[in-house]
Amino acid sequence: MSDADFTVHLVDDDRDVRRALSRALLARGMPVQDHASAEAFLAAYDPARPACLILDYGLPGMSGLDLQAEIARREDILPIIFITGHGGVAEAVRAMRGGAIDFLEKPFRQAALMERIDTARSTALRLRAARDHQAAIAQRFARLTEREAEIVRQIFAHPAETSSKELARRLDISPRTVDHHRARILEKLNVASVSGLFGLVAELSGPGPLDQLIGTAAQATPGQGQGESA
Amino acid sequence: MVTKTLGVPLFLGLAGLQLVAVLAIVFSSYVTSEKVLMFHARNLLRNVGFNTMEHSRSFLKPAHDGAELAVRLAQNDIIASDDPVLMEKLLFQQLQLASQVSGMYFGATDGSFVFVMRDGTTGNFRSKIITMTGGQRKVHLIWRDSNFNALHELWDPADDFDPRSRSWYQRARAASGATWADPYIFFSSHEPGITLAAPVQEKGRFSGVVGVDIQIDEISHFMSRLVIGKTGRAIIINQNGDVIAGQNEGLLKAKDASGNLHFYRIDSYGDPIARAAFANLFGPDTGPPAQEVDRHFTYQGRDYVALAMPMSSEDLPWTIGVYAPEDDFISEIKHNRTTNIWIAVAVALCTGLAGLALANRIHRPVRAFAVRSALVAQGEIDPDAPPPRTYRELEAVNAALTQQIRARREAERQYGLTFEMSSRGMAQLDPVSGRFLRVNARLCDIAGRSAEALSRMTLADLVLPADRRILPAGPELPASDFSTNQELRLARPDGTVVWVRLNAISIRDSAGKALHAMLTLEDVTHAHEQESQLTQLSRDMTALVRDNTMSQLANGLAHELNQPLVAIAQNAGTALYLLQQRGDPPGPLQETLVEIEGQALRAGEVINALRALLRPDAGTSAPFRIDSLAGQVLCLIQHEADDAGVALRLDCPGPLAVMGNRVQIAQVLVNLLRNAVEAFAGTDIPERSVSLQLRSLGGRIRIAVQDNGPGVPRNLTLFSQFETSKPEGLGLGLSICRTLVQMNGGLLWHEGPAGGGARFCLTLPAADLPAPDATQTEDTA
Repeated sequence: MSDADFTVHLVDDDRDVRRALSRALLARGMPVQDHASAEAFLAAYDPARPACLILDYGLPGMSGLDLQAEIARREDILPIIFITGHGGVAEAVRAMRGGAIDFLEKPFRQAALMERIDTARSTALRLRAARDHQAAIAQRFARLTEREAEIVRQIFAHPAETSSKELARRLDISPRTVDHHRARILEKLNVASVSGLFGLVAELSGPGPLDQLIGTAAQATPGQGQGESA
Repeated sequence: MVTKTLGVPLFLGLAGLQLVAVLAIVFSSYVTSEKVLMFHARNLLRNVGFNTMEHSRSFLKPAHDGAELAVRLAQNDIIASDDPVLMEKLLFQQLQLASQVSGMYFGATDGSFVFVMRDGTTGNFRSKIITMTGGQRKVHLIWRDSNFNALHELWDPADDFDPRSRSWYQRARAASGATWADPYIFFSSHEPGITLAAPVQEKGRFSGVVGVDIQIDEISHFMSRLVIGKTGRAIIINQNGDVIAGQNEGLLKAKDASGNLHFYRIDSYGDPIARAAFANLFGPDTGPPAQEVDRHFTYQGRDYVALAMPMSSEDLPWTIGVYAPEDDFISEIKHNRTTNIWIAVAVALCTGLAGLALANRIHRPVRAFAVRSALVAQGEIDPDAPPPRTYRELEAVNAALTQQIRARREAERQYGLTFEMSSRGMAQLDPVSGRFLRVNARLCDIAGRSAEALSRMTLADLVLPADRRILPAGPELPASDFSTNQELRLARPDGTVVWVRLNAISIRDSAGKALHAMLTLEDVTHAHEQESQLTQLSRDMTALVRDNTMSQLANGLAHELNQPLVAIAQNAGTALYLLQQRGDPPGPLQETLVEIEGQALRAGEVINALRALLRPDAGTSAPFRIDSLAGQVLCLIQHEADDAGVALRLDCPGPLAVMGNRVQIAQVLVNLLRNAVEAFAGTDIPERSVSLQLRSLGGRIRIAVQDNGPGVPRNLTLFSQFETSKPEGLGLGLSICRTLVQMNGGLLWHEGPAGGGARFCLTLPAADLPAPDATQTEDTA
């Protein structure tokens, strides 16, 4: 991804500041969108595009912190660099707690700002890649049939009993059928073996996403768990 | 309270002990002596008894022997019983041999009778011979002298005496041996006597009886010669109870109605003491005592000892009775005992008196010492006066006591001096009425009243009505400790009001009873005025700062200035970037741009420092980073320093925090730094420098502002108002600075360092480094 695909948003109520900063960024070939207020930014902003945000802390109207909170609520990937004329430790701490990349006190050296933008860009790109990867895995799981999802659940519920026989007994079907399903599952999820399946799920963060992807056992096969235990 | 003196117990003790001791010895020896003497008395009585017995036996023995002889002669036909002449001669001879025999006689079975007897007291004899020759009975009476010569002869045909009818004859005949008759009083001589009768056997045939009359008055005579104690008596009692012998012969004989004489029985005997002693031994039912009877009895208040001793002879069944008053033996020791008791009492009294005298002598120094101690305690005698002569132990006590008293006097004197001379007003209050008991001159000054007037007043009367609620209600001091330390106002009679600091404590005795209350009053009016001035000044100074407008102004200014500064710095930065992109070599243009960027940034720093300085937390005291503040302050003064050609230097070992009012400390530092910079004005010192040095001194932080300028002029009094070395200065700076530092719990002083110049130091209380996020977040929130 080239610099040209990465937009730097700039929100500051001072026109001269916006112009000076826009100029500095454009000089470096960075696409810049500047906004006079937080509201204006939210109206114009396209979350699908990779970007970062240079945000004035002391904005009239919706403040910098409010905007930071709104972006966090939307779960958008948008690293924020605060700039402020109200330099104070307390303000800086609040901003950093909200996930800001840095907190620059006005006036600041251009070099310092450029370093922060580089950091923001790499952060943004990394986070986006991770999000896309997870989305792809989820998509693969989505292609599983109900029965296949059930088998995957059984595999994860009893990681030590993943042979066809054991699965067949557990699901009250024939081992041959299990073999058939398993081959389909590995193919759909694009993994070579059951251990590859475990590796795939490990790339997701924690058990929650798996449940989201394939649902829980009780929801999917209401009668079978009981019949097996009886 | 019982006062114990030494004399009485000593007297009673000595006298009593002495008396008891002597009496114990007296009674002990008396009892022993009495026992011994009584033992001897009984022995004496017994001896008398034995004597009497022996005497009686020996007295009767010749009569017995004579009778025996007569009997034997008659039996052996040496004197034929029918030969009255020979018989008379034999009997006469026997009679002459034994003087106690008053008469001897022989009565034959045919009624013949030979009788020889003494004729009264003449020494002559009389014989009665009855012969029965051929049935012819003749009675021949012959009077003879001691040589057997017949003095007178008479035939008495009227006499019809028949020996065979007599009791002695019949008894002897029945007894076939010598028998003693009970004693009786002889008809002829009127003397007590006893008859011995012995039967005569001729060739185995009873032929008559020999009889012997023995007068036993001689026994009484003998007994009257016995000495038994002083007044002891002895009697002989026959087995039938008759008293047959006694020392007083006259008591023996009684005459009955027909004129016959007989013995008194013991129960009617003329000696009542003998009666009391022995009468009950010879009752109608009881015989004579078989064994010795030892008696002790009282008659008419006198004690007697008595002994009844049977003679233990079948022939003579008599009992010897001996008695004597105890006093005969022990009256001496009784008397002696009484004397001894009196002597003991006298000795005890003497001893007691001697003890009393001794006690007095022993006690006198003690008493003198006690009197002296009392007088010393009452203050009537100086404790240093020489003490009376006394014992070493008491002298030690006296020394200790004197020392105590002296120490107490000294303490009282010093207390009195302290009280009177104290620079504070002092007073004692009565615990009940609350009135002033004692006041010193200073208190009178403060209250503006005389001591005499105060004595009628209570503390509440002096206090301004508005301040009286501080005092306890009522005149009395409360039961609990009234202890206070407050400031209140007194109304003086001239209408002025004085501020006083009141200290009060109640003084109690060891039992907790309130004795008085002790007050000290200090006039703090002047201090109050000063304090209110300072507070006013501080209030005025901080009002500006505390006012939010100042802070808001600073904030707005900072924001407004920062924005163009951002633009300047960024534009300069962009220009530099573009030049760099074009590949231009570094030149004046780049330098210019760098400088533009640098100056813009510096302006921003100044503004930010100012803004931080004027943050709206200014009025409060809180922990803050003094090193940060120092940096900000130097920033503010940098411009002036640059103008004056002075190098500013911060010397700080690391992060340090102090407790205080941030703005006030900043004002002080700015003031001191500015003074230091301005001190160089008008001088030609080449290397001008001002350093700000921070050091941690344990619980305090020391901040020093030092310059190498000309120093403080000698004649200048620093820290006083309106004194200044600066031409256009007002001179308020240092005095305000010092006030501000002191308000923040620190000190500010000046040192003239050895290398010249001036050095102002101040200290502030150190604080823990504040956690940046916590405290600062709260500040903004």
